[in-house]
Amino acid sequence: MPASTGPAERDVAVTVTVNGEPRRERVPARTLLVHFLREQLGLTGTHVGCDTTQCGACTVAMDGVAVKSCTVLAAQADGHEVTTIEGIGDAEGLHPVQRAFWAEHGLQCGYCTPGMIMAVRQLLADNPDPGDDEIRRGLAGNICRCTGYQNIVAAARAAATMLQES
Amino acid sequence: MYTADFAYARAGSLAGALELLAAAQARGEDVKLLAGGQSLLPMMKLRLAAPETLIDIGGVGELKGVTGGPAEGAEGAKTVIGALTTYRELERDPMITATFPAMADALAVLADSQVRARGTIGGCIAHADPASDLPAVLLALDATVTIAGGHGTREALLDDFLTGIYSTDLADDEIITAITVPAAPPGQAYEKFPQPASHLPLAGACAAVEIKDGTICRAGVAVTGVASRPYRPRDTERILASAPLTPSLLASAAAQAGGAEQGGDVRPLSDQHASGPYRLHLAEIMTLRALQRAVERASGNSSGKAGER
Repeated sequence: MPASTGPAERDVAVTVTVNGEPRRERVPARTLLVHFLREQLGLTGTHVGCDTTQCGACTVAMDGVAVKSCTVLAAQADGHEVTTIEGIGDAEGLHPVQRAFWAEHGLQCGYCTPGMIMAVRQLLADNPDPGDDEIRRGLAGNICRCTGYQNIVAAARAAATMLQES
Repeated sequence: MYTADFAYARAGSLAGALELLAAAQARGEDVKLLAGGQSLLPMMKLRLAAPETLIDIGGVGELKGVTGGPAEGAEGAKTVIGALTTYRELERDPMITATFPAMADALAVLADSQVRARGTIGGCIAHADPASDLPAVLLALDATVTIAGGHGTREALLDDFLTGIYSTDLADDEIITAITVPAAPPGQAYEKFPQPASHLPLAGACAAVEIKDGTICRAGVAVTGVASRPYRPRDTERILASAPLTPSLLASAAAQAGGAEQGGDVRPLSDQHASGPYRLHLAEIMTLRALQRAVERASGNSSGKAGER
């Protein structure tokens, strides 16, 4: 990060390391991180749900910590590392949390799922063996509009077991 | 949703931020400081705020972190929390959670994990949402705010700094640099009744008590979510220190939690979520619960463990 910058600008050059790869784009200062990911980089796995910091569908990891990318400017991510759902696994090698959501049917329509998975990943990094109450509290920032919470909690529990065994 | 267009500048140091702030003001621009952005960006997206210039102070390292506290000095040491310290950093700081159990209570029920990862204590104070959690805790613990400006640094009692709904005593050329919390008794707790969608308190109360020979010798109480700003119900505090500690003393003290703000009656907020009288009722109940748990903790009773409900 530069020690100080020049005059304020309406367009900013942003370099973000996304899923391990440095990506440089010039964007309007008001560009949100979620739009930078989806529209500039084509990484549409990160969803826009409520767009008001409530539903968590846009959750990504910034410097390893889950944040809501609809409430971060792309400019604030300049010089930082971002991991999206595309960066944690793929069809051939799913992340354990992805496998747990599959195995436990932790999704219905699937819209909240990328954010849920990124949030569960954070929850289990902070607390590798959470109880059901801790899982529900830990996912307070993520809403499933299908209300499929029972299986989401079951998936988080199964993911904890998988991660501990791996 | 997009915010209105704005110009963006990033500060690398406090001095640099003050310079950028002064320069933007000299040009007559409507300017806002951006810390974690968890309150400001949602307001900008809803166009409730539309600054022409944003100065991003999020990377100013000298405003981050916790110093002081009992671990670093004799008993009675103050704890200085840098304005850009995040809720997540505070909730993961063992000194903070051990020294200020009421802060641990509030951090456990405040917003959500993702928001806590970016939201800062200084941003919370500057935003002055009438329904935010942490200001009640800081108010009950007699916290002060350190403010840097073009004309040097000043210190203000949080109680004097908060002036109303989204309003503080911060001047246009000033930046909050730290929150200082004096040594506090272990008998403290925060309780809230959350609005289920926003998680903000319809009413929240913090109580901090020190008990000597069966009497409360020192009491700090603060209520949030109920009035235009978090306040100290002074009558509640007076009653607590007026007689030997009994359950009925706590109840009669709590009954005044909605009754007196600096000598006058509290004018409660009223909206689609809760009427004024209901908020005042919740203020009493939350104050009573916070007092009960604070007294339990003052007596070393572990059932008042932080973060449990």
